[in-house]
Amino acid sequence: MEISQEARDVVGDYKSGWHDTENSTIRFDSGLSEKVVRDISKIKNEPEWMTEVRVKAYRHFAEREMPTWGNMSMLEQIDFENVCYYLRSSSATENDWDEVPEEIRNTFERLGIPEAEQKWLSGVTAQYESEAVYHSIREDLVAQGVIFLDMDSGLREYPEIVKKWFCSVIPYSDNKFSALNTAVWSGGSFIYVPKGVHVEMPVQAYFRINAKNMGQFERTLIIADEGSSIHYVEGCTAPTYSTDSLHSAVVELVALPGSHIRYSTVQNWSANVYNLVTKRGIAHKNAKIEWVDGNIGSKLTMKYPSVILKGEGSHAEVISVAYSGNGQHQDAGAKIHHLASNTTSKILSKSISKDGGRGSYRGMVTVSPKAENCKLNVVCDALILDDESRSDTYPTMEVANPTARCEHEASVSKVSDDQLFYLMSRGHSEEEALALIVNGFFEPFTRELPMEYAVELNKLMALEMEGSIG
Amino acid sequence: MNAATTYGKISETTDRADHLWRYTPWKKIHPTGDVKEVPQINEEVKICLKNLDGTDLTEGISLQRGDRIEEKMPNIDVVATSFLEAVSNNCRWVLKTKRKFYSDTPILLEIEAQGNMHALELVLDIGDMSDFEIVTVIKGKADWLGLLRTGKIGKGSNICDVTVGIQEKGVLLRLDCISLGRDANMNTGTVSSGSEKTKADLRYRMAESGSNLQVLGSILSRDEMHLDYHIEIQHDAPETFSRLVWNAACGGNSRTIGTGMLKVAKGSTGTDAAQNFHNLLLSKGAHADGIPELEVSESNVVGCGHGIANGPIDENQLFYLESRGFSKSDARSALIAAFLNSTLTKMGSSYLHTWLSKLLTSELDIMNK
Repeated sequence: MEISQEARDVVGDYKSGWHDTENSTIRFDSGLSEKVVRDISKIKNEPEWMTEVRVKAYRHFAEREMPTWGNMSMLEQIDFENVCYYLRSSSATENDWDEVPEEIRNTFERLGIPEAEQKWLSGVTAQYESEAVYHSIREDLVAQGVIFLDMDSGLREYPEIVKKWFCSVIPYSDNKFSALNTAVWSGGSFIYVPKGVHVEMPVQAYFRINAKNMGQFERTLIIADEGSSIHYVEGCTAPTYSTDSLHSAVVELVALPGSHIRYSTVQNWSANVYNLVTKRGIAHKNAKIEWVDGNIGSKLTMKYPSVILKGEGSHAEVISVAYSGNGQHQDAGAKIHHLASNTTSKILSKSISKDGGRGSYRGMVTVSPKAENCKLNVVCDALILDDESRSDTYPTMEVANPTARCEHEASVSKVSDDQLFYLMSRGHSEEEALALIVNGFFEPFTRELPMEYAVELNKLMALEMEGSIG
Repeated sequence: MNAATTYGKISETTDRADHLWRYTPWKKIHPTGDVKEVPQINEEVKICLKNLDGTDLTEGISLQRGDRIEEKMPNIDVVATSFLEAVSNNCRWVLKTKRKFYSDTPILLEIEAQGNMHALELVLDIGDMSDFEIVTVIKGKADWLGLLRTGKIGKGSNICDVTVGIQEKGVLLRLDCISLGRDANMNTGTVSSGSEKTKADLRYRMAESGSNLQVLGSILSRDEMHLDYHIEIQHDAPETFSRLVWNAACGGNSRTIGTGMLKVAKGSTGTDAAQNFHNLLLSKGAHADGIPELEVSESNVVGCGHGIANGPIDENQLFYLESRGFSKSDARSALIAAFLNSTLTKMGSSYLHTWLSKLLTSELDIMNK
């Protein structure tokens, strides 16, 4: 577990905290107005209906109050007028890695994206600032009819599908940040998996913010047709600046009857990024949606992956971990709505607070009056590693059907002295022992990730745990 | 600033995002529905203190008009509290015990309200090292009753405090705001099957080290009842212990709500705290909501946890009782009684338990009719 001085010099406190010289081809002035929204749509040469949706969403955003819950003092610090809402560093989305501009290519090579693609991915989208810069998908999947594009290309090439499903799961009026995203969205992934097709290896998107005061508003839409399955993995990083950036994504999943979508995230934004994301899926009959969500970085994360269990026999699972360090507030959780009978769901949330960080679980599960025989289980565990940190749990459970069986349990504790003592008696230093216990605490999450991501996460946690003792 | 002025300034600030008001907005509890109004109450409630078995009270306990104790009180919700202070019109009673007061018979405090609207404030001034059980029974047919209990449990005291709500109709607004002294031990129970609508905000502060609190609920809702309980426990001292066990059985088209908040302040080392909400759903139209919340700012705790479980009556248990000769309805009643009894048994002595059980059985009989 020892990190060499050389490695420490390279990574600093935050491994992905370097930044490239900003070499944008188009950069909008900071600030948001209806003109900015229309200009984004115009640059992208979008159909009229999309421009109208954007404008409506902008008007809603302008009128909508900030949420009156969560970390209101941090939310109030967001200066929407100091954010750049569109920045393009590459003139096109490339299919050949060598065609990507050199500086951007270097960034993603340092993040290990091309290597991972060769080894174990079915497809990759890399997004730099507002636009996707690189995109590829395995040919055999294309032959089976799988569509994996960046969202802008998806809108251009498959406007009917996008029009049918866009905003169908998360309307722009859902919350202030979904309205903001709908108004200024750019990039993200568009995936359609045809009936009965199983995408065996995961597809990946990697999101990188490079510029100062940048807003990244990607929009992802995944549709799994009947009996199909897909595993989508996303990773996020940004450089460390003294001023704040804003990441406000919207992710919509549609799992049609009998399909299975797994959506894994390892978010490692730098500690100057507001990460305010709306993620929701609709599961039709016998479909299954899983959110596997790791939150390590950012200044404030407010993210509650949701599933609407609309079809009978559908299933939802949310596994999330959060690490809150100095000055960070991870306000994460899950929401599951049981609308149909015989639906089941499971939420497992783990959080660690250290160096004055604050970890909050905020969840909601509801069972509607017509949903018979639903089962749901929620487990939240939290570790507090020092006297400066804080852990909160705010679960909501609303049950309107007497046949439902619902359980929620949560616990907050410190690292057990017995466990530390045992590991140290086996020759580990106290720091190594603590890192092992923390990795073990996160194990239910890491075992659900692809191997490369799990190893990466363990390394990140080891870096975050540096200096925990003494 | 007097209470009416304070209320006037904040009456419109309750927010659904605040879980205290999520399921029962203030205007639904306010006597007139017009939250700006502070109605005048001219009638007084009947209040009476006696031994539960009819014998004379032991010397050392008194109930008389007096002033509030402003000592290490928990945080309060200013909206409901300032409103009750404003409308109670100085109708403030102080229940005081001398140091080392002891009673081997449970004490009964009856509050009976008839007519339109009533409000009163009850101050608990429990002397150090006291040891007794007290049952507060709220009854009558008033349209609206507000009860604000404030006060302190003295050092080293050992108190069983049960509140029973059996009003025949109306709205009950009940606020508890009580602090526990060093090594004080308090068992506080709520037995409720009355009123059409109840909003209770019960707050306890573990203000000094070694204090020990058990909060218990046996709630039976039926017909169109709407019973909303918020229980907040604040650990502000080292080596404190609290447990909350809240059992609610919901029948008819009723709705029961249990929201709990467990706050552990920085410096409250060695805190051991847990809360559990259990809801038994008895009919198609019944609805149960729960939000057990935790805010922990101290790492060196024994443990802090919470749980919530909702479900129907266990079919296997029903089948077993029917195979032993119970009719279906008797088996069902027995299981509901057993569910509510699991918290009732912890509320006090066997004498008090027998008395409470009879009360609960009669309420169950009403539901089964």
